[in-house]
This record gives sequence, C-alpha cells and structure tokens, in this order.
Amino acid sequence: MAISLSHFPILSVLLLALYSLAEAGTVTYDFNIGWVRANPDGLFERTVIGINGAWPPPTMEATKGDRVIVNVENSLGNQTTTLHFHGLFQNGTTYMDGPGQVTQCDILSGQKMIYNFTVEQSGTYWYHSHDKGQYPDGIRAPFIIHDPEFPYKDQVDQEFTISVSDWYHDEMVSLISKFIYKGNPTGAEPVPNSGLINDTASFTLDVQPGKTYLVHMVNIGAFAGQYIWFEGHNMSIVEVDGVFTEEAEAEMIYISAAQRCSFLLTTKNETTANYAFVASMDTSLFDVLPDDLQWNSTGHLVYNKELALPTAAEVAELNEFDDFTLVPYDKQPLFRDADQTVQLDVIMDNLGDGKPYAFFNNISYVSPKVPTLFTAMTTGENASNPEVYGEYSHPFVLDRGQVVDIILNNLDSGKHPFHLHGHHFQTLVRTEEEAGVFDGTNSSQTNYPAIPMRRDTLVLNPNGNLVIRFRADNPGIWLFHCHIEWHMDQGLIATIVEAPLDLQKSLVIPDDHKAVCAAAGIPIAGNAAGNTVDVFNLKGQNHPPAPLPAGFTPRGIVAMAFSVLAAVLGMAAIVWYGLADMGAATKVKEEQRIAAFSAEQNSRERQGSSDVSETKVG
Amino acid sequence: MTVNVFAVPVFFVVFRETLEAAVIVSVLLAFLKQTLDGPNRDQSTYKKLVLQVWYGSALGLLLCLIVGGGLIGAFYGIGKDKWGATEYYWEGSFSLVATLIISILGAALLRVAKLQDKWRVKLAKALEEKSVTSAGRKGAFKRWCEKYAMFLLPFITVLREGIEAIIFIAGVTFSAPAAAVPLPVICGLLAGFAVGFILYKGGSSSKLQIFLVVSTCLLYLVAAGLFSKAIWYFQQQDWNNIVGGDAAEVGAGAGSYDIDRSVWHVNYGNPELNGGGGWGIFNAIFGWTNSATYGSVISYNVYWIAVIIGFILMRYNEQKGHLPLMKAKKQDAPVMSDSSADGSGILEAKKNTKPTTTVTPALGREISE
Repeated sequence: MAISLSHFPILSVLLLALYSLAEAGTVTYDFNIGWVRANPDGLFERTVIGINGAWPPPTMEATKGDRVIVNVENSLGNQTTTLHFHGLFQNGTTYMDGPGQVTQCDILSGQKMIYNFTVEQSGTYWYHSHDKGQYPDGIRAPFIIHDPEFPYKDQVDQEFTISVSDWYHDEMVSLISKFIYKGNPTGAEPVPNSGLINDTASFTLDVQPGKTYLVHMVNIGAFAGQYIWFEGHNMSIVEVDGVFTEEAEAEMIYISAAQRCSFLLTTKNETTANYAFVASMDTSLFDVLPDDLQWNSTGHLVYNKELALPTAAEVAELNEFDDFTLVPYDKQPLFRDADQTVQLDVIMDNLGDGKPYAFFNNISYVSPKVPTLFTAMTTGENASNPEVYGEYSHPFVLDRGQVVDIILNNLDSGKHPFHLHGHHFQTLVRTEEEAGVFDGTNSSQTNYPAIPMRRDTLVLNPNGNLVIRFRADNPGIWLFHCHIEWHMDQGLIATIVEAPLDLQKSLVIPDDHKAVCAAAGIPIAGNAAGNTVDVFNLKGQNHPPAPLPAGFTPRGIVAMAFSVLAAVLGMAAIVWYGLADMGAATKVKEEQRIAAFSAEQNSRERQGSSDVSETKVG
Repeated sequence: MTVNVFAVPVFFVVFRETLEAAVIVSVLLAFLKQTLDGPNRDQSTYKKLVLQVWYGSALGLLLCLIVGGGLIGAFYGIGKDKWGATEYYWEGSFSLVATLIISILGAALLRVAKLQDKWRVKLAKALEEKSVTSAGRKGAFKRWCEKYAMFLLPFITVLREGIEAIIFIAGVTFSAPAAAVPLPVICGLLAGFAVGFILYKGGSSSKLQIFLVVSTCLLYLVAAGLFSKAIWYFQQQDWNNIVGGDAAEVGAGAGSYDIDRSVWHVNYGNPELNGGGGWGIFNAIFGWTNSATYGSVISYNVYWIAVIIGFILMRYNEQKGHLPLMKAKKQDAPVMSDSSADGSGILEAKKNTKPTTTVTPALGREISE
C-alpha cells in the first residue's frame, strides 16, 4: 500500500494561503469514533479504532490563532474514549485537555462531546485518546498547526508530515491484562509486532530535485522510540515539540513516543537514484526480541519512479543527535530560580497483588472518583490543599506565576519519555545513563544552560536523572507522566494542580461535559472520594493494591508456629514410641514366632536342603 | 582483587547435598553396625548389607554423573537448559520418593530398638530370604524393595542430591570462572563426609535406643521438610510455567513466588538462590523456605500429624495385637504368617489386613555361606 503524498503539499499550500487570508478562522472536525478493520503492516488484519469509518485517522491541520472545534461521538460500543491534543497549552480551556478522570469524564459509547479551543501555538502536534491506554489501538494521528510567521518559511518549498509508530496485532485491553498480571512480575512490556511509517509498511514520498522540504516527524507510537535517518541526506532540525529552534544539522535523530521533530530536508540536484530512509525502533526498550520482529521500517524518497527502490543499508552504530543541545529560536533565557521544587523518583515495583506497577516516589497513580478538575472547582478554598485530590492522584498544587523545577531520578533501568501537559519546559539537566540521582548541592550538576532547550516530552535515561523548569502561567489540571503507554497504565503519573482558585474564578465548564459525566454516573463535585461535606475525609477513595508485606505477617507467624509445634509433637511421638517397651501383644507374638522359627529351622535341617533351589537371592 | 578460586555458593550446595546424602548413608551404616556387627552376630549378613549400602551410593553417584553429564551435554548441544525448564517437577518427584522411603525406614529403624537382638535374625530374614516370586507382582515388587532397601535408599538419595549438585555447579560454571569450582566442590564434599562420619561414629558408640530415637527424629525432620518441599516444588514449577522462566532468577523478592498461594514470604534466606548459604542447610534439615505456600505449610503439618497417628497406631497394635476398630487377630493363626512384614517393620496398618502368605523356608544357611 504505497501512498503518494505528492498532491498533499499543494493542498497544504492552498490551505495555508486561505488560512493566512482569513484571520483567526474556525476549523471544524466531526469525529465519529468507532471500530474498523485494518491491516497496515500487511501481516495481520485486526480491528482498530478509526474515525468516521476509516483508518488511519485524519491528520488535523489548523493555523495559529484558529478556533478548533472537534465534535466527538463515541460509537465504539464497548469502550469509553476521550481525545487529547498533545502539546497544546489549552490556556483557559483546561477542560478541553482530554485525560479521562482528570479534566473530564470518560465519554461513554453513544455519548457526544465537543472539544472547542483556540490554538495559540504552531508546529507539530498530535492527538490521541487519553483513556485507559487506548490510543495504540489506532486512535492517534498528527496535528499540524501552520504559522504564517514560521522563521524558516522562505526556505521551504513544500511540507510533509510523516508519522512513525510501533504496531501491535492484539488489542490493548487484552495486552494490558497480560501485562499487568502477576505472572509478569518483572513488568516486561509487550513487544510490538511491527513498525509503521505513515501507518503503512511501504511508505514512499515523491520528491523533486533541488528543493527544500519541511518534514514534520511525529512518533505516535505506544512504546518504542525511533531512530530516524535518511540515506544520502542530512536533516536540519528547526522545531521540536512546537518550539522553533536554531537550525541544527543531524544525520540521525531519536524521537521517543510522543516526541515531534521538524527538519528541513534538501533534495539532491539529480534524479539518478532513489533513497531509503529508516525508522528503527529502539530495541533497548524490549525485554525480548522475537525472531520475526522487523524493527526497522523503511520508506523511500522517490526522485524517479522508473528507478528501483534501494534496500536500506545496515548502520554500524546508532548515534543520534542530542536534543539537549538545541537552542530555541526565541532565545528564551533560563527562568529565575525555582519557587517550588518537585522531586520524583521513578520506580518499578510490585504491589500486594503481585502485579507490576510503576511509581513516582512511593505512589502509583490511580484515577480519583471525581475528575481532578471537578474537585478543584468544587472544594472552595480547600482546593489549594493537595489532600482533597487524594493521595493516589499524586497532586502537586502550584501558585500562579511560580517557577517550578521538577527533578526526576530514574531508579529504573529503562528509558522513559516524560511528558508535561499544558506547558513547554526548559531542560536544565539531562544526564547520560547510569549517572545516578540528581544532587542539587553539587555545583557541577547545577551548571544550567543560559538558554535551555524547551519541549514538552523529554527522555529520561536509564538510572540517570533530569531537571526541568517551567513557569506556572497556565491555570489548569495538568498531568505529568511517562508517555510509554504501558507505564501510564502502571501508574507512572503525577497531577499538577495549577492555580486552582484562579480556575474557580475564571472557568465555566460546558454543559455537554457535565452531561457526559451524568451519563456515566461519575460525580462532579467534592474531593477525590466524592465527599462534598468533609473534603478532607477521603474514605472510599480509589486506591492501588496494598504493598507487599516486607517480612512475616501474622498469617506467616501462625503458620510457622503451627509447623514448629507439629514438628515438636511429632518428635515427641517418636521419642515416646521409641523409648517405650515392646508392648504386650508383640511380646507374645515374638515369643511365639521365635519358638516357631527355631522349630522350623530344626525341621528343615532334618529335611535337608532340597528346596533351597526354589529361592532366588541377590 | 584476588583471583576467585572459591565460589561460595558451590561450596554450600555441595556441602548441603553431601550432607543430606551422608546423613542417610551414615544412619544406615551405623544402624547396621549396631545391629549386626560384633561378636556372636551375623558377620556375613552385615558385610552383605554394608556392601549394599555402598553399592547403592556408588551406583547412585555413577548414574548421577552420567545423567548430569548428559544434561550438561544436552545443554551445550541444544543450547537450552532442558533440565531447568522442568527442574522442579524432577526435584519434587525425587523429594516425594525420598520422603516415602525415609518414613518407612524410619519406622523400621525405631522398632529395632525394641526388637533388639531379634532384629538381627529378622533383618536377615526380611532382606535376604523371601522369594521374589512368592506372591503377586505387587507383592513381589514390595518385597523386592524391602529386600534391597539398604541398596535403594542410598541409591536414590545420592542420585537425587548428586544431580541437584551437578546441575547447580554446571549452572554456576556457565557464569563463573571454572577455576572457582574445584576447591569449593572438594571442601563441600569433605565437610559433608566429615559430618556424616561424626554421625556414624556417634551413632555406633552411643546407646542404640537413644541413637535410634535421635536419628529417627532427624530423619523425620528431613522427611517432613522433603515432603513439604515436594509440594512446594510442584507449585513453584507451576509458577515458573506461568512466569515463563525460572522465577528464582528474579531473586528473592516480588515475582519470585505466587502471591495468591503465599503464606509467608521474606526477602532473605532463599535456599534456592546461589546455594542458599546457611539457609540452604537449614532448608536441607528442617525444610526451611523463605517463601511458604499454603501447600507447603499444610503438607508439612499433615506429614507430622500422619507420623503421630502412625506411631500411635503402631503402639496400639503392639499393645493390643490389632489396630483400633479392627478385629483382634485369632491367636491360632499361622504364626509365620506375618513375620516377614513385621520383620521389615513396614506399615503395620496394612499388614493385618493382608492375606497370609506362606513364606518359603528360610535360608539361614545360605546367608551364612
């Protein structure tokens, strides 16, 4: 299934022109979300979640300043859903952010909800379901916001969007039940069945010689980071996660799940060959490498359709561009020292049900009964107290205008791409792997860059650490979480509650949002446990399984005591029996037997040894 | 860093396996010495039975070397630890067989104290005299087992412990320098033999009854632990099948056991991990486990309850001449009828219900030949 995108750029340019003319237009999408069948990798046909009866879902496009309206109807029948527009600040519209039980209620099948917001940013984004690990079933696609003031617009002849993704043949519900399972105590994540480029296994891009293309690359996968390289071409990075950067040349880039990168790609001046480009899944994330897994996906830049498509060459080593060194185009300087510092240690461990979970510090996230936004809106002054949000939503309350540092220590041996909703953050520190935990008193570790790189999703290296800084300038409820969907399902999530009292003053939650809650029977007032009277009483709140007991439990002590008692009694019985005399009956019997034995021996001696031969010995 | 020539886990595992084997062998030898050796006793039977013990040990050793070698060969050949995949089924089965044999033999040993001198004759009769073909196949097998108990017990014990040790050492040498293996193996063997020898010497010189009582207690402790461990092995193999690998590889912590079957689990003292250190020896003698399951705890207690009931019944039978709720035996029954069964002391409970069999004329002379 080769897709030629040659007509897309023309369309884009046309649309761009239109958007430029119509200042602050409105873009409307009607999304009917339902199951369809698809076989994108050519290996296996499965049911996938599509939009309006088709899959893959459409790439959304808008222009900076536009109002975007998405009319969502859930027609899945058997699952709830939500939509999250990844990377958008949703300033003033935090209820349009999308995470279920956080800023809204899950949309039941048959229900409708309108996402309505303006886009004040530009660059490369994407949208996906933010409900119960659902998006890898197919409901994820790029979202490009054009910018008439794009700093490199004069260099660009055409633009393309290329998505990369891992792909599973099983549905998430079944994969999650096998993953968060006591028989998977190490938490080995399901390994994808294949990789996709633009949701196909055979992607080709028609290009013309001597042109410069702007490529929006998005990793819309669930798990695997992707190494990307174009044979014979360099990439000139100009944007990451919606932040324009100084041009930076790269031969190979790495984009984790949920990261985006736009780059200028200048084509060759001749059309004598076609070129392969590769998206290679980061196999260091996989606990096992199935024999039949093809982790390299190959696409082609087609200069000349008459010529063959070359096979991608092997690369000796994966040496990707370090995104930490990028310089934002606006040169935004380092924010002042933090007013509040949040330290989170990433831990993978098991709870009392024996299943694998993920923890920030000692807390594995569990959705509250009342979506966090509704708690913030209905608990009055107490909304500033993190307690009302429940321990297991792991809340951090920020005051408006605060500068906040998040220190993230990876106590796990895997890579984790961390994503903060509602913000770009400055990246102050990001160590290599095995660097240990961050030490703020060590001046060699606090030598922060004067103009830090910014983005919304950053990879934390195995057993390393990172420090990010942002300004609390966007009142709302924002999740901070690992964007590996498996780890989200395991609870690697914290909740940032930003200026809740401001939210109470400024926010009016639309009626259709409340209707969605009412349809699902989800309470929309009170603390995390739904208590509206005493908001500090969290009795009945959702909670994770109890921790594993560290040593002997009462049950174990009782069992041990009984075992010891049984052994002592048993040995007492042995001693009692062993030291007792022969017993009256046996004595009589023995005497008789000995007598008979002697008698028999005597009689046999008389008979002679005639019957000896009958007996087999040895 | 000094050169690693002493892999501690290897020492512990060899010591532990040797000790388990040595306890059995030394108790048997001491018993034989006590009952059959000395002036006015049956020297030839004694020698014969001692030889049986040594033959059993030697054959067990030989077989475990062959099987172990084959397994290691297969490991290299196929590139997969075939043994490891079903290891616990094997260990569990071996443990069950060992429990059974130790339990039967333990009772028999304890009765010796009472039968004193008569045992010498009885043992000779029981072990040497019966015709293998004198009853049905089942009876024949039983008698065959009785006859060669002195061979079978050390044979199975040495085989089981030996294979365990070989597999473990093989596993360690795949990851540790080979130079670190021989010394701890030798030390472990020597330490095991030493303890066994002390047990043998102590057993030989102390008062027979006390020795028998003490050693029987020890044997039943081992047997109770083995029985409990057998159940544990089967359950742990289930768990390994669920996890899809050796759960012991994830260490002693979460995930190394099935939480739904767990009675207690402490993250230390795993006897299966790296030889277990002192915990491994604790495990060998008392059946310690850091991760007890309902199955292992209940089976341990049930075993002891069965032992207590068994001895009470045996005592009752000794006093009354029949088991509770059973008819007293007629005094005029053929006297020889159950001498063979009684002589080996095996499961009184069954004996009185069995049809009487005619024993082939004894071969006192043949034994002495």
